[in-house]
Amino acid sequence: MLVFIAAMTLEATALIQFYYSQKSIRTEANRRAESQLEATNNRILDIINQAEAAVRNSVWITQWTLEHPDSMYRVSQRLVEDNPVVVGSTVALVPGYDKTRPLFSPYVYSNEAGELIFRSLATEEYDYPSQEWFTRPLELGQGYWSEPYVDDGGGDMLMTTFSVPIYDRKGRAAAVLTADVSLEWLSSLVADVKVYPKAFSLMLSRSGLIMVSPVETLAMKRTLKDFISTLDDTTGLADLSDILLSGESGNILVDYKGSTSYVYFSPVPRTGWSMSIVIPENEVYGGLRKMGTIVLVMQLLGLAMIIVMLRAFIREQSRARDLDMTRERIQNELHVATGIQMSMVPKTFPPFPERHDLDMAAIIVPAKQVGGDLYDFFIRDEKLFFCVGDVSGKGVPAALVMAVTRTTFRNISSTEDSPGRIVRAMNDGLSSMNESNMFVTFFCGVLDLKNGVLRYCNAGHNPPRILTDDIYTLEVEPNLPLGIIGGSEFKEQEIPFHYDDAICLYTDGLTEAENFYHEQFGEERLDKCLRGRKGAKDHLDNIKREVDRFVDGAPQSDDLTVLFIHYLPTTLRMTLPNDVSQIGRMPGFISDAIKASKLDPQVEDSLNLALEEAVTNVMMYGYPKGTYGEVTIAATVTEKSLVFTISDNGKAFDPTVRPDVDINAPVEERPVGGLGILLIRKIMDKVWYERRGERNVLILTKNY
Amino acid sequence: MEVKIVRENGEVTVILSGRLDTPASMEIAPQMDELTNEAGGTIIMDCSDLSYISSSGLRIFITLRKAAAVKGGKIIVRNISSEIRSVFMMTGFLNLFEIQ
Repeated sequence: MLVFIAAMTLEATALIQFYYSQKSIRTEANRRAESQLEATNNRILDIINQAEAAVRNSVWITQWTLEHPDSMYRVSQRLVEDNPVVVGSTVALVPGYDKTRPLFSPYVYSNEAGELIFRSLATEEYDYPSQEWFTRPLELGQGYWSEPYVDDGGGDMLMTTFSVPIYDRKGRAAAVLTADVSLEWLSSLVADVKVYPKAFSLMLSRSGLIMVSPVETLAMKRTLKDFISTLDDTTGLADLSDILLSGESGNILVDYKGSTSYVYFSPVPRTGWSMSIVIPENEVYGGLRKMGTIVLVMQLLGLAMIIVMLRAFIREQSRARDLDMTRERIQNELHVATGIQMSMVPKTFPPFPERHDLDMAAIIVPAKQVGGDLYDFFIRDEKLFFCVGDVSGKGVPAALVMAVTRTTFRNISSTEDSPGRIVRAMNDGLSSMNESNMFVTFFCGVLDLKNGVLRYCNAGHNPPRILTDDIYTLEVEPNLPLGIIGGSEFKEQEIPFHYDDAICLYTDGLTEAENFYHEQFGEERLDKCLRGRKGAKDHLDNIKREVDRFVDGAPQSDDLTVLFIHYLPTTLRMTLPNDVSQIGRMPGFISDAIKASKLDPQVEDSLNLALEEAVTNVMMYGYPKGTYGEVTIAATVTEKSLVFTISDNGKAFDPTVRPDVDINAPVEERPVGGLGILLIRKIMDKVWYERRGERNVLILTKNY
Repeated sequence: MEVKIVRENGEVTVILSGRLDTPASMEIAPQMDELTNEAGGTIIMDCSDLSYISSSGLRIFITLRKAAAVKGGKIIVRNISSEIRSVFMMTGFLNLFEIQ
């Protein structure tokens, strides 16, 4: 029965978590595909608009040439010359409009070498009055984009033609003005849309002709309908072409030979084209499926172990006559169960020996009666994800919930960066277990190791201690613990984390550890252990020693967990707006950087001066007055020096080219300015400027 | 940053205290520009409580010094800290001012 309940709990949690992860991944896929469609559509429209505008701007001059047909080729010539997207153009007279010229259509196009070629389209075999580009605009009375075609005249180019009807002053249809627009850019633009590695894009023309597809041989040869009809299994694809060409945007699920794909589609306005992105379903959920399988296997293994243990235990029990002995056995079995659970938390310290910016340590001391404490941490994308939690209740159920909590944390934070959203998703998954009245107090933190920002979300856990120059309790929102009400909101918070700051997370088993007189260890004693700057491990050894001394052998009633994280970045970063009044924020930053390096603290004033000169220079001259800009300062600690990199995207400005002021000149000849760069040069050991792309980069080095 | 101007016995004493960084210099610049009218006499810059100076602060000093050179006055800099002395050294200001 116990095993059954445990199995149900585990599977229910896994399923719910799976469902929520799936939902959020689906939302993400939707967002990616839709924004890509929109972005590509906008870029196509840009070019379409350019071409339309060029043609419409030439309408009045074409009307004027109706009385001077010999000048018509000039209109076309200018269209081609002035507009890079237009490769050919003609003004074609309506047959019979001009009695002296029954057919007249001077055509100008630019060949592969870029030379302009003039030709007449008024030939019998071509018969322009029957061509689509000529007839459609006259029928419609408005501009018309032709079906795309491959131009066999010059270099097999993919083209489309925009044509407008021209009316004379009496309102009679007189001619058609056209612009041939090259679509060579289209295939690379569309093919470049890569939402997922195995996703691909498709562009269809108004009639369903495949313009761009990953299979190049299909392009401009077949319609989608035609292509689908050649496939072995057309059941799931029958309406696809019609849906894509309906002029609506949206997404559908398509089955082909047992594999499912999402198809996102959107029309390209005016042209009648339809752009779509096809994403195989396993591409979207591939990671999740894999993870789901791993979780399932792990859970089954865990269950199998519990069953084996319980079986052994039951067999023993039936033989055992002595009830006390049995009870002790239960304890032992539960202890083994805890041992298995505890092996899930990271135990190797230092955990990241290759990193010098983190000093971490953790301990977890299970009580005699099994509880459900946990901690966990890992680094992804230069962010440290960490958590501490305490499951209510005791025994195997608590240990199981702890295992599920830890797995859920790993799963969700493998794709999610925001601690608020991680906690919310975890709560939604765990709330299903509320029947057993279990909940988890949980603290989740994400420390951005690049810029020292700590974001966190606290779900009813006791707030951690922060160690700066001072020791204080981190301010936390009063969020509910996990697993109480699904759908609850969890407020996320943020504090800056500076060089040498530390955070000490713990469970109440620490501060509520009791001695024989039922006195508690308390926060004051904890703070005493945290005082003074030591390595993370020394702090924890100290805490453990002091707790042991305090309880003096009294039985431990609750698990005790401490996680200590000390932040020692080798690169510190600060970004200031171009506002001189922000200069006051620099001394603290420079002081941190000096602390992180081996520089003598006495150089602080002079470094501050050099940096202030460099940064005010950018603030006052880098950006036009009244516009917003930013200056970024990074301080990197190296073996031999502290290196400051000051960068901005203001106008190009090299402060180092200015010659030094002659400091021995008499007062009358001394200029008022120029002292800033002089001071920088005298204070720093190396001053180097370079322009990197659109950024000014000034590198100031101070050796130890 | 604080500035106090005391006029006594025909001398002007400017007492500067705090950090004379770029924003502070911009704040007191108009006040100090007006002082150039009195640069024909003796102006004492009392730096006993001045802890820091940047080039925009130095600009204020040299503007006064140039005005004194034209009008035949005198600028005396009094009680500078060792940090500010080193800035004066780097910029050649030790030769431009009478330092007490």
